[in-house]
Amino acid sequence: MLRKDLLRVSRRGGRYQPQFIGPANAQLAASILETFRSHVGTPQHELDAAIEQLEREETDFKLVRGLRALCERETTVATVSEIPPDRIRRVVFAAAESADGVASSAERDDVLKQAAKRLGTTSDTVAEGLYADRSKNQILTAFEPRWDADGLCAQYNLSLAQTALFDATEVRIRSDDPKALISALGRLRLLYEIERTEDGRVVVITGPDALFRRTRRYGTAFARLLRTVAQSALTWELVATIDDRGSERTLTLHNGDITVPESEPIAEPTYDSAIEADFAARFTALESDWELQREPEPLETGHRVMIPDFAFDYAHSDFRVYFEVMGFWTPEYIEKKLTQIRDVEDVELIVAVDESLGVGEMLKQTESHIIPYTNTVRVKAVVDVLRSYETQLLAAAAETLPAAIEPSAQVTSLEAVATAYGVSVKAIENRSFPAHVQLGQQLVSPTVLETIGDEVSDGMTYADVESIAGKYEITETSALLSTIGYRVKWDGLSGGTVKSLPE
Amino acid sequence: MTVSLRFADGMIQIDAESPDQRPPLPGVETDPRTGIQSAPAYRYAAIRAILAQLDIPVDDAIHVDQTLQLTTAYKLRPYQEDALAAWSDRSQRGVIELPTGSGKTVIAISAIAALGVPTLIVVPTIDLLEQWETELTREFGDMVEIGRLGGGEQRLGEITVSTYDSAYLRIAEIGNKFGLLVCDEVHHLGGQGYQDIGRLCAAPARLGLTATFERPDGAHEEIRELIGAQVYSIDVDSLAGEHLAAYDIRRIEVELTPQERANYEDAQQTFLDYVRSAGIQFTSGSDYLQLVKRSGNDPRAREALLAKQRAREIMMNAEEKAIELSRILDRHREDRVIVFTAHTELVYRLSERFLLPAITSETGTTERRGILSKFRDGTYSRVIAANVLDEGVDVPDANVAVVISGSGSEREFTQRLGRILRPKQDGSKAVLYELVSNETAEERVADRRR
Repeated sequence: MLRKDLLRVSRRGGRYQPQFIGPANAQLAASILETFRSHVGTPQHELDAAIEQLEREETDFKLVRGLRALCERETTVATVSEIPPDRIRRVVFAAAESADGVASSAERDDVLKQAAKRLGTTSDTVAEGLYADRSKNQILTAFEPRWDADGLCAQYNLSLAQTALFDATEVRIRSDDPKALISALGRLRLLYEIERTEDGRVVVITGPDALFRRTRRYGTAFARLLRTVAQSALTWELVATIDDRGSERTLTLHNGDITVPESEPIAEPTYDSAIEADFAARFTALESDWELQREPEPLETGHRVMIPDFAFDYAHSDFRVYFEVMGFWTPEYIEKKLTQIRDVEDVELIVAVDESLGVGEMLKQTESHIIPYTNTVRVKAVVDVLRSYETQLLAAAAETLPAAIEPSAQVTSLEAVATAYGVSVKAIENRSFPAHVQLGQQLVSPTVLETIGDEVSDGMTYADVESIAGKYEITETSALLSTIGYRVKWDGLSGGTVKSLPE
Repeated sequence: MTVSLRFADGMIQIDAESPDQRPPLPGVETDPRTGIQSAPAYRYAAIRAILAQLDIPVDDAIHVDQTLQLTTAYKLRPYQEDALAAWSDRSQRGVIELPTGSGKTVIAISAIAALGVPTLIVVPTIDLLEQWETELTREFGDMVEIGRLGGGEQRLGEITVSTYDSAYLRIAEIGNKFGLLVCDEVHHLGGQGYQDIGRLCAAPARLGLTATFERPDGAHEEIRELIGAQVYSIDVDSLAGEHLAAYDIRRIEVELTPQERANYEDAQQTFLDYVRSAGIQFTSGSDYLQLVKRSGNDPRAREALLAKQRAREIMMNAEEKAIELSRILDRHREDRVIVFTAHTELVYRLSERFLLPAITSETGTTERRGILSKFRDGTYSRVIAANVLDEGVDVPDANVAVVISGSGSEREFTQRLGRILRPKQDGSKAVLYELVSNETAEERVADRRR
């Protein structure tokens, strides 16, 4: 985080966008690092002067000051003086007092001489040491930055984004690590709601006082939150409402904007239990029309959230089923889970329950599908439930499909047609295609068949026929040949020739 | 039906066995995010009052009514007594307006002793923080713990003094620990963020102190809501002669040296050239702000601002002022002299030149106390300080003050300083010198235009 007066944002188009720096600024970052390094052993004011020179050369002095502020945190300064300056002052001021004050430079010399005598040193040492402890006179004794020029730029971008959040009144976050997000919210004493949007659920975050007024009070908490989110999630997006001296602006940040320097690269998500890991591995190995997602998004349950272990996304339409594995845990955990499952918003939810918990009866009153298990969750049991959804989806799809389908393409496939309708191939298998002839999994118009029929003649090699078919993107060569009235006479391993069938 | 009250994050949370039958309470709303009924903490007194009126039993976990045994040795002056009585009559809420130097601290200390409850005192500067801490420790230090939030320390006590900044940051966490909230220089509370200190604190009794209550932005309406209306006011004129010292003002205008004048004109010209080419009018303060804003990405604007700053520094640091100061110090060898200037660097330059004990914002607490107490007991008869009077800090009596300003006279500053001057034992009048640079540059520019 930087001081607010060092914030650099663009306000174009009602936005509030931090002016991030990139490789073009690495040279500046390097010269600032070098300026600090070369001033180790000199008084602070010399460093100040050198940095001020850089400020004049750069068009953006706030950028220079921001980088400088970050570097300053990596320095050590110390008062260097033979005699402690506060002692020098006491002696000097006492001497000045007994001389009835100093008005002329001759009087000053006298007083310094007396003080020097008292302190057993020279007048010059006294004069130089008088304010050696002022921060501008202190000596920079060490500079140990944690980063190189690129790292400094990354640190700057993170700090800048955090500073931009100081005036935020609300932030909305989407993250692929909702667990880390929710637990950080508790730690930072922030409050949240889950909002459903077209692009999934988003966590809307404010603080307690936001119930009564729009307030910037939680800005620094948002800034801390940003660090957690950027550190824990691989993909995330943060949209903040900024109270910019009374006018409302929008700040948008996402994973491409900032990195947290020095943090470990984000590892693959770990599983809460071996049972979950085992299930995920076995389900993924399976061919299925459902894609498995880990800790997909937070669901609203009463005034809290529940983050299910998994979600299954149906390949052929926008349909999601959540899956929670209830393993053995503490009684409090089970109680909390039960409440969550009872109160969760209206979604499709499958719950696998360890039979030894003995909570199956309680769960029966919920809307969820219950799968009891011992030791491991049987993939087949889950697939069976998913199949029942599939059947429902097929039935629903069938109702929306016309009895006869006429795709506009001359050559197409059942799969392409199914995708166009957003259903599975199964849903269209029993439809009629009056404008096409079905060749296996493909649909071909009679016109194309006629053209191919003209090109194919008796005695052609099978390979030639295949390449003619290929021209029209037909892969079902055998079905094609029998439809246009030919058969293949195979000739050992070297291939074959086509013969027309008797009429 | 019992209603229970809890404090959390600056909110009063209300829970009732049968919420449907609960009477409506001021400011209470149901938080859709948590399902909890809550109100900002400043509503606490009103909520308690209504529940008491309706005879509804309360399970109150907020505990602001802990009693402390406090006594004070202070004797109030009649107008101070009037002020305190007026405040007590208004349910111990409201603002007292009194000029600087008329003993606002004394009134607050008497209020704290009379109420005998844990108290949070909020002040705008580190100087005031330290002054209050000293006073409170002297009065109550042997009876209760005196806490301090700000200036590098974060210590809570039954009586705690805090800066506005620290209080803003911590109020949501500590707002339930005090029965009385005292805001010194209460006009600061009108600032957007600082209002939270009043809003998120549960203290039923509230006292605001100020020398200038009316805020131009109308934020005193907020103060009225959070602290209470103005309950007492007295102006400088009705106190002058009675409790404040009379003094003479001597204004000394110094000339710049030829070299200084040349440098000044040069800097001033750089500034004016930019301003003219950029078409900035300077008809209002916002024009200057506009220039500051531009300097963020326009190097020429920044150069202009730096030039203006240089010009001011030349004015401020005019050598002739130092020479004039040496004459004053020479003339007043037998007197008690305080030298003031707003510029820290100038303070140190003069301190080094005339070997004067210096107090600035850089001075550590121990050394500052040491210098002030040595000035008080006569070990030192001169000090130089930067701006410590801005918010009415008690300074030991002096009979000579020297204010060094840039070109204009800092009228407000001078008036406040005047109030701390005391006549000498022999009855001779106190004197205040104003050292200003003679600014002829503006006239010359005007001449050139003709």
